Formats: sequence, C-alpha cells, structure tokens
Amino acid sequence: MSHPLELYHWEPNSYFLKPLIALEEKAAPFTSHWFDPTRFGQFAPEFPRNTESDLHLEREGPVLVHGDAIISSSFFMLEYIAEALPGAELRPGDAFAHYRARASAQFLGGLGADVTLLGCIKYLGPGLQSQDPQTLKARLGDIEPLERRNAWLGLLDGTYDQKLVGSLQERLRFPLGRLEQALSSCAWLAGSAYSIADIDAFALLRSLPTLAPDLVSERATPRIVDFLDRMHERPAVKKALALSRSGKPHEAFVPGAEPSRWG
Amino acid sequence: MLTLYHWEPNANSGKPMLALAEKGVPYESHYLDLLKFDQHQPEYLKVNPDGTIPALVHDGRVLTESTPMMEYIDEQFDGPPLRPADPVERWRMRWWMRFFDSYFAPSLSMIGWSVFVGPAARQRDPQELREAIDRIPLESRRVAWRKALFNEFTAGELAESRRRVAFATDVLERHLTKHTWIAGETYSLGDINGFNLGYALPLSQPERCNDERTPRIMEWLRRIYARPAAKQTWEKGRTQMSSRIRVLERT
Repeated sequence: MSHPLELYHWEPNSYFLKPLIALEEKAAPFTSHWFDPTRFGQFAPEFPRNTESDLHLEREGPVLVHGDAIISSSFFMLEYIAEALPGAELRPGDAFAHYRARASAQFLGGLGADVTLLGCIKYLGPGLQSQDPQTLKARLGDIEPLERRNAWLGLLDGTYDQKLVGSLQERLRFPLGRLEQALSSCAWLAGSAYSIADIDAFALLRSLPTLAPDLVSERATPRIVDFLDRMHERPAVKKALALSRSGKPHEAFVPGAEPSRWG
Repeated sequence: MLTLYHWEPNANSGKPMLALAEKGVPYESHYLDLLKFDQHQPEYLKVNPDGTIPALVHDGRVLTESTPMMEYIDEQFDGPPLRPADPVERWRMRWWMRFFDSYFAPSLSMIGWSVFVGPAARQRDPQELREAIDRIPLESRRVAWRKALFNEFTAGELAESRRRVAFATDVLERHLTKHTWIAGETYSLGDINGFNLGYALPLSQPERCNDERTPRIMEWLRRIYARPAAKQTWEKGRTQMSSRIRVLERT
C-alpha cells in the first residue's frame, strides 16, 4: 500500500491508544496529527470527516486517513490496519480465533463504555468546569448528533452523580470476571497468539488500576494485571505510550460509546 | 457437523440463517421459541450457558455472537464470498453492522417490544413471567426482559428510541444514494445484517419508510428479498412474524 497514512489522535489512552499500538507493531510510518478533543479540535475545518466519522459510536476519535479512505471506529480500524498493511501479523490464527477476537471486542465494548464514562466523570468533568461556561455551552450546543451533544452536557448538568459512579463500578465486575476467567485458559484473548484482540482490551483496561483500584488489582484480578504487565513490556506499546504530552495518558478521557440503553 | 440454534428468521437469529443460505451450507436446525423462553431451559443452557440465541455449534466449538458468527461462516465455509475483498469496503461493512447492532436495533426493538411483543406476553400469568425472568442467567438480560415484559420503558426512553429510528432511517437512505450495497458495490454481510433489522420497516414504521420517503431503502430491501437465499430463509419461519416479509413482494 503506497498511500501515506495519517492518524488523527489525542493522548494514548482508550480508543486513541489502539491504532497507535497497532501502527507501531506494524512498523508502519504515519503522520501524527495530535488534537485536543477537550478543546474540540475534532470540529476544526481541516479535520477529516465523512458520514461514518461523524456518526461513529465512539464519538470523538481517532480517525485514520489512508489515501481517499477515512477510517473510524477503533476496533474496525485495528482490523483495517491488520488486513491492509504489511508487517507483523496482528490477526489471530484461524477462523475461530478471528471469531474470538471479534466477539471479545464486542463484549468489551460495553466495558469500554462504562470505563470511559467513569473516566469522564473523574477527570474530564472537573476540567470542563474550569472553562468559560458560556463559551463552553455555546460550543457544546453545536455538536451533532443530539446524543453526542448530550454526552458532553451530562458532565455539566449533574446527570452523572455518585450513584451512577457506584452502579458503573458494580456493573464492571461481571465483564472483568469473564476476562479474568478467559485469561486463565489462554495467554492471549483470541488464543495462543497475540493479536488485535489484546490491543483492543489493553487500551480499554489500562486506566482501571487507577480509576477503579478495587476492581483491578493483584489481589482482585491477578491474571488481568499480568496481562497488562505483559502488554506494557512490548516495545510497540512503550512507543505508543511515549507519545503522551501530558505524562498522564490514563487520565485522558472524552465521551465515547454510550452504555446500553436497555439497562 | 454444523448445528444452528435459532428463533424466527428475524434480527439476530436471521443473520446466520441468511448467511448460511447464501453460502449454500447445510446445517441441522434447532428452533427455539424465544417467547416461550426455550432459550433458558436446562437443555439449551448446556449449549450456551448465557441463554442467548442464536448459537452455532461447529465441530464442538460454540459461537454465540451473531455478527462475528456471520464472519466465521463466511471465512470457514466454501461458497460465494460475503465480505468484500477491498479493505475499505470491508471496513465499511463492519462499521455499518455496528451501527445497525448498537444504534438502530436497540431503539427499533424497544419500540417493537413496547407495542407488539410486551402486550402479547402480558396475557400470560404474571407469576409465571416473573419465574421465567428469574431463570435468565445474565443480569443484563434479566433487566432487559423485565423492562420489556412489564412495560417499564419510560415515555422519555420510548421518545428517544423513536427519534433514533427516524434519524437512522434517514442516514441509511442517504447512504444508499451513494452506494448500491451497504459496503459499497459488493453485496455482503452488511446487507444481510441490515435486512434482518429492516425488512419489516415498511410495516412497523410506514410513515418513515415507504416508496415516497425512502425509495432507496425500499429498493434495497426488495433486491435482497428477491435473492433465492432470502426466500429460502424466510420460508423457515413458523409464526406471523416471518410473513411480514411479503410487504416486499414486487407488485
């Protein structure tokens, strides 16, 4: 593939971390366009857009531009990188392993939504309070579609209270238990080979030891902690995390996928 | 050995049914009646302890997530490819399947359960329903079934679902003005997914989805319904639900 790669991303955390790791694993040269979504850089006129990037369910980014293609939605971006680019094999072994990777990403999507909301409440909400309220509300009022706007407004209007924080933390116990169990039978999430499933999970989980230490710790989830440690040892992960400008990438959250509306 | 546990050709159950039909892959069919809670009976819980359908069992391996299951079917079995070869089209197929699964379908099904399924289920003994819900293995599914069966949706939730269905219908119509199929120029799993979600839209949302307002969606649905695999799949339906597909007959 001779087209240049351009990645529009923020701090290496959550959805933004996934393609950074995958591109480093592939040793694929790319142009980095760092933007601050808390200052709404994703709405700048020069930011690449299409229907899918406007409506994707992870809301604010990242976006990968490859030739004429504008790729959004972070797990499918990982699949695209794994399939379209030369370099290290990031797809797991056979068709069943591919199924496991996709099913894992789908399952962890719900976990990612809850983690993102917890992170936004803890870190982004107070940060937004320091911005000029009138300018901020005017800026947020322009965001489309409506549910994307409401995810931001909820951080200002008291929608996200401590009761919600408690229920989010409680809800995380189930997927984390499943994940701990899965890692007891396999070294990696799609089987014996490291793959995009592991990049996906790592990016969503990495902040949890600080965000919810009661839920992810040596004592509560030893296999998840071991998984995170093994991921941290990978050179590609180290390179991706080194792109942080704040030095605290695990505190970088903006509204992402929404928790299930069915409860 | 290939076995599919499924309900009606509709929504999640219909996805692997139509994909297998398109590939021409024979399978052993186990019909489970979702509204009689067959999927929470001990016999089925031995296959899928989560008690969700569909489930595909292939050579002892169990697959329970319908959209990744379709990709497995396409990758594992011979027959016409159902995923585009071009990586960008393949990405677009996946993006739209996520949009259908996580945005469009939950809102459409909330309306459907509120208007059709819930009232029908509530004809049954409430104690029997409560016991049936208590047998559901997953807490998240218990919450969803309780809401659906006892009509615990708020007016706000239903209004938001109606807004999202209207919005998503318009987004899909615009998409189909640019592309012949969901992924681009190739019929794919994205169309199979979308068809299972939307084949009854002209009946359930007649003011939103019709020949005047959404001609591209109507034409897309009719093109898929004209495929032999779709006809063959919907003939497996056992209830009134599957007969809704006749709204797509060309006159």
